[in-house]
Amino acid sequence: MKLKKYLTFTRAGIIEALQFRLSTVVMVIGNLLYLIVTYFLWKAIFASVNNEPIGGMTFYDTLIYLVLATALNGFMEMYTVWEMGRSIQSGKIVLDLLRPMEYRKYLFWSYSGGFVVQFLTTFLPTFIVVTAVTQGAVPLGLNLVWFMISVVMAVSINYSIDFLVGTVCLYTESIWGINIMKQVVILLLSGATVPLAFFPEPLKTVVQYLPFQSIYNAPLTLLLNKNPEPLAILTTLGTQLLWVIVMLLLGKLFWRVSLRQITVNGG
Amino acid sequence: MSNVIELKNVIKEFKVLNRHEGLKGSIKDLFSRDYKTVRAVDGISMTIEQGEIVGYLGPNGAGKSTTIKMMTGVLEPTSGGITVGGVVPCRSRTKLAQEIGVVFGQRSQLWWALPLIESFRLLKDIYQIPDAEYDEMLRFYQSLVDIEPLLHKPVRQMSLGQRTLSDILAAFLHNPKIVFLDEPTIGLDVSMKAKIRTLIHALNQEKHTTVILTTHDMGDVDALCRRIVIIDKGKMLYDNDIEHLKGFFGSYRTLKIRPEEALSQAAEAIAKELPDFRVSADEEWISILVDEEKQKVLDVLGQLQHTHVIRDMQLEEISTEEVIKKIYEEGVQ
Repeated sequence: MKLKKYLTFTRAGIIEALQFRLSTVVMVIGNLLYLIVTYFLWKAIFASVNNEPIGGMTFYDTLIYLVLATALNGFMEMYTVWEMGRSIQSGKIVLDLLRPMEYRKYLFWSYSGGFVVQFLTTFLPTFIVVTAVTQGAVPLGLNLVWFMISVVMAVSINYSIDFLVGTVCLYTESIWGINIMKQVVILLLSGATVPLAFFPEPLKTVVQYLPFQSIYNAPLTLLLNKNPEPLAILTTLGTQLLWVIVMLLLGKLFWRVSLRQITVNGG
Repeated sequence: MSNVIELKNVIKEFKVLNRHEGLKGSIKDLFSRDYKTVRAVDGISMTIEQGEIVGYLGPNGAGKSTTIKMMTGVLEPTSGGITVGGVVPCRSRTKLAQEIGVVFGQRSQLWWALPLIESFRLLKDIYQIPDAEYDEMLRFYQSLVDIEPLLHKPVRQMSLGQRTLSDILAAFLHNPKIVFLDEPTIGLDVSMKAKIRTLIHALNQEKHTTVILTTHDMGDVDALCRRIVIIDKGKMLYDNDIEHLKGFFGSYRTLKIRPEEALSQAAEAIAKELPDFRVSADEEWISILVDEEKQKVLDVLGQLQHTHVIRDMQLEEISTEEVIKKIYEEGVQ
C-alpha cells in the first residue's frame, strides 16, 4: 500500500511521457548530432597521436564509452533543478508542499516514469546497437547485473545533487547560473564527456574521491571492464553506496534547514 | 459543534530588505543588511466550526493569503497559536495535508498533460482513498455536474472554467475536513460561476466540509457564505454574519437613476451636487449611496429632479458589495 502511493507516479509519468512522442524523436536526433560531433572530435584527437592508445584506451574504446555515456546522460538528466526553480518562482511549490508526502520523494517519483520511458527508448536501443555493431567489445555477463545496480545508485546520487542545487533556488530565486555550473562540473568530473582515463594523474586521484564519478564513470567502467577483479567491483559499488547515503542525508538536511527558513520568512 | 480551526492572536512578520533606487542603490543593496520588518498579519483570532462556509475578505495585500498559508502549514506564524484539525499546521504539515484540500485560483494542482481521470487516480493513490469511497465520490460528482466528458480530456486542453471545476473536484476528492478556496471564480463567466457556486454549496452540504473562501466577487459571498471575516492591513475588521453587517448600514439605500444626458457627465455633476454621498456610474445606471440619517432618499430624488431630467429610477437595499466597500474605506464604527 505504501509503495503504491509512489509507484502511481511512475505509472502516470509513463503515460505523460508517451503523450509527447515528438519530444522523444527530437531528443534522439539531438543525441545523434552530439554523437557525430563526438566521433569526429575524437577521431581528430587520436589522429594527432597516430592512433596510439591514450591512457590505455583506443579510439574504439573511447567511442563506445562515450556513446554509452551519452545514452546514460539521456535518461539521467532530469531537469529537477529547472522544475524546482520554476515551482519556487511561480509559487507552485506551495501546492507541492501540501501533498501528503515529502517534497523530495514527491519530485523524485514524479520523474520516475520518465526514467523508465527514457531508459527503454534511448538507452536500451543504443546499448543493443553498440553491442551488435562492435561485436564483443561489450562483455555480456555478470557485469550487466553490476551495471544495473550501479545505475540505480547513480540515479540516486544524481538526483540528490540536483535536489541540493535546486534547494539553493529557495535563497537565490534564480537558478540559471547555478544550474549551468552544476551541469558543467558534473559533465566534466563524472566522466560523461571525457573518460577519466584521460585525466592527468593528480586530477584523477582527486576525482576518484568526489561523488561525480559515481554517476557515469562507475557504471560504465563496470559495464565495459572485460576482466574485472572482484575487489574492484566491490570498491566501485561500495564507494557509490557511500555517496548515495551521504548525498541523501545532505540533501535532506539542507532542504529541511532551508524550508524552515522559508516558512519563517516567507517566499 | 467542534472547532476545526482556531487562531489565537496570530502575528506574522516578514523581514524585507530596504531597497534603494537607481544603479548605485541597487549595487548598495547587494551588500545591505538593512532590513525592515513588515507585519503582514497583526493579531488575528478566530474560530471556525466544522461545516461552516466562511468568506474571508479583504483588499489586495490585506494578508489573506498569508493567513491561509499559515493555516495550511506552509508558513509559520511569528507568534500566536494556530490549530487546524487538532494539529499545529507548520509542525505536522504532511500529516495535515491528508485532512485539507486547496484550490489556488490561478494555479492548478492537476497533472497538465494527463486526462482528468488519471489525475484523480493519482490523487486516489497519494491520499490512499479506499476504492469504495473513491467510486462513491465519483458517482456523487456525476450527480452534481456532468463530469463524464471532462474525465477523458487532458487538463491542458480544458477551458479555464472546466479546469477550475476539475480543480475543485480534485480538492474535495479525498473527503478532507477543510477546503481552502482562494479566488475560485476568478476570470470565469457568469454561468460557470453559478455552476461552481452550486457545486461548492452541494459539497459542503453533503460532506459537511468546512470551506474557507477568499474572493473579491461578492456574488460568491452572497451565494455561499453566512459568515464573513474581513481583514485589512493584517488587522481583523469584522467577523460575523452578513445580515448583521448589513444591519450596521441599515440606514443606507442605493438610489439608481438614469438621466437624459450622458451618464459620465451627469455623474460628475451629481457628485458635485451631493458631496455627502458616494456617486458611481456604470453603463446603465448612476448609483448614489444615500445615508437616510443625513437626508431622505426622496429628498435627494426631488433635489436631482430640479437639475436633471430623470427617465428612470430604482431604489435598492445596500448590497453586500457596497457594505464591503464601505468597510474597506471606513471600517466598522
